[in-house]
Amino acid sequence: MDVTSLKISDMREMLDKKEISAAELTSEYIKRIKEFDSKIESYITVTEEIAMEQAKAAQAKIDKGEATALCGIPLAIKDNICTEGVKTTCASKMLENFIPPYNATVMEMLNSQGIVMLGKTSMDEFAMGGSTQTSAFKKTKNPFDINCIPGGSSGGSAACVSASLAAGALGSDTGGSIRQPASFCGVTGLKPTYGRVSRYGLVAFASSLDQIGPIAKNAHDCGIILNAVAGYDRHDGTASKKETADYTSKVGKDIKGMKIAVPHEFYDKGIDADVKASVLSAIEKYKEMGAEILECSMPSLKYAVAAYYLISSAEASSNLSRYDGIKYGHRSEKGDTFGELICNSRSEGFGEEVKRRILLGNYALSSGYYDAYYGKAMALKQKIVKEYADIFEKCDVILTPTAPSVAFEINENVTDPVKMYQADICTVTVNIASLPAISTPCGYNNSGMPIGMSIIGKHFDEATVIQMADAFEKQFKTAAPLIK
Amino acid sequence: MDLEMVSYLSKLGKLNFTEEELKKAAEDMTSIINIMDTIKDFDIAYDPFADNKNVYLKDLRVDESEPSMETEKILQNSTNSNNCFVVPKVVE
Repeated sequence: MDVTSLKISDMREMLDKKEISAAELTSEYIKRIKEFDSKIESYITVTEEIAMEQAKAAQAKIDKGEATALCGIPLAIKDNICTEGVKTTCASKMLENFIPPYNATVMEMLNSQGIVMLGKTSMDEFAMGGSTQTSAFKKTKNPFDINCIPGGSSGGSAACVSASLAAGALGSDTGGSIRQPASFCGVTGLKPTYGRVSRYGLVAFASSLDQIGPIAKNAHDCGIILNAVAGYDRHDGTASKKETADYTSKVGKDIKGMKIAVPHEFYDKGIDADVKASVLSAIEKYKEMGAEILECSMPSLKYAVAAYYLISSAEASSNLSRYDGIKYGHRSEKGDTFGELICNSRSEGFGEEVKRRILLGNYALSSGYYDAYYGKAMALKQKIVKEYADIFEKCDVILTPTAPSVAFEINENVTDPVKMYQADICTVTVNIASLPAISTPCGYNNSGMPIGMSIIGKHFDEATVIQMADAFEKQFKTAAPLIK
Repeated sequence: MDLEMVSYLSKLGKLNFTEEELKKAAEDMTSIINIMDTIKDFDIAYDPFADNKNVYLKDLRVDESEPSMETEKILQNSTNSNNCFVVPKVVE
């Protein structure tokens, strides 16, 4: 049996029953990474030595009967989450040699569980993109077809889970960066409610929208990882003090009578026919399972991409001002004055897409444009929040496609920023409204490329979102990519 | 968007562009702003009070000083000397 194809819940059982040791499990993954990652390019850094040491420590806990849910489970971490002593590059030349002097809170929480960290995964530079092709180091490929993108920005995390190069992974989601790559790579990705998971140690892109979350082979596994990383953190002023729940508690529970809202704007023009057909077919499945479907409307959706890019770029332009080549990050060899050194360091360190976002953010915040762009975007945010609140008065969850299309070929759209931005239409409102949402596979097109659907929940109701995804997954046959 | 505006924005962002890069950036920004302009159809103003209604300032963390990270650790990713960041000469 290939243990790397198993779910985290099954691995836990095998580890606890001593059918496999943590070291053996880790070795299987390292072997696979060495064999296949040269094709997929999902990892920027593989931490083999650390992984084997952690496996040894995890085994000691297991042997003592002290294992927690993730003890000895090999996971991958997106390369924008700070890992003490291990390079955290954000897939940018700016942070090519940055070694964090501290751990992100999520890493402290995972380490206290005794996880095995296999390495740091590739991403779009500073999480800005939906293809992982703006990475300065590893331009990750889709395991279902290496000529296609894996999505992004957490493309490395989604691809490595899909290719069984990690049992699960952490990603981050600012406008769909967990859900869209999960959809493209045929795995499950959960964006928790804003504030549910600490952002301390997550390299900031847009602070009011960023959220760390899990990517795994199914919703149950996402719940197991979320259980380990959710909770209040005094280091993050936006972390919620609301009590955490057991996010796996509703797994396997009947969904009869649950109300699913379907906003018709998400199914209008711009959504590929095969995507629409698969999601509509999933809706029929939910009906068969006893769920009630309610049609509804989200009129502001047509403005969502503009609102998202204005807000996120405004925040990014401010957040990225910290990179001056002096405190940390790339330092230019050229520059006789303080000002020249900063300009040269930033110009050499940042890639094209990051520079574009800085320009856009500066434009949105500039005198004379602020009210027309940033002010309007913030007004739209309020409208979108209200529209979601109104819909949630009548339903338990909302169901939409995760992306308008399946993964497309490398270089097909990635050089056209406008096309790339518009492709975020299905995911950005969730971040704008701070809601939790999960993407899970619901079909495959004629070429075998995965199609994902998103289940959006009420604030802090991740347990129901996981329940709904799990119910569908239990009667849907997923395909694994064939990697040669 | 004209070159002058892009040049101004790049100056704000402390970024240098070659003439060719500047032209490309102006083209890209023009297309991007076309999408952003859709927002202008939307006739509503931002209500700052609506966003602040759930902000409770009494619930903030107690302002207590604590030991900070060791200087060596803070400087480990920088060019430094004698426990200080090194920068080009600022004062003539």
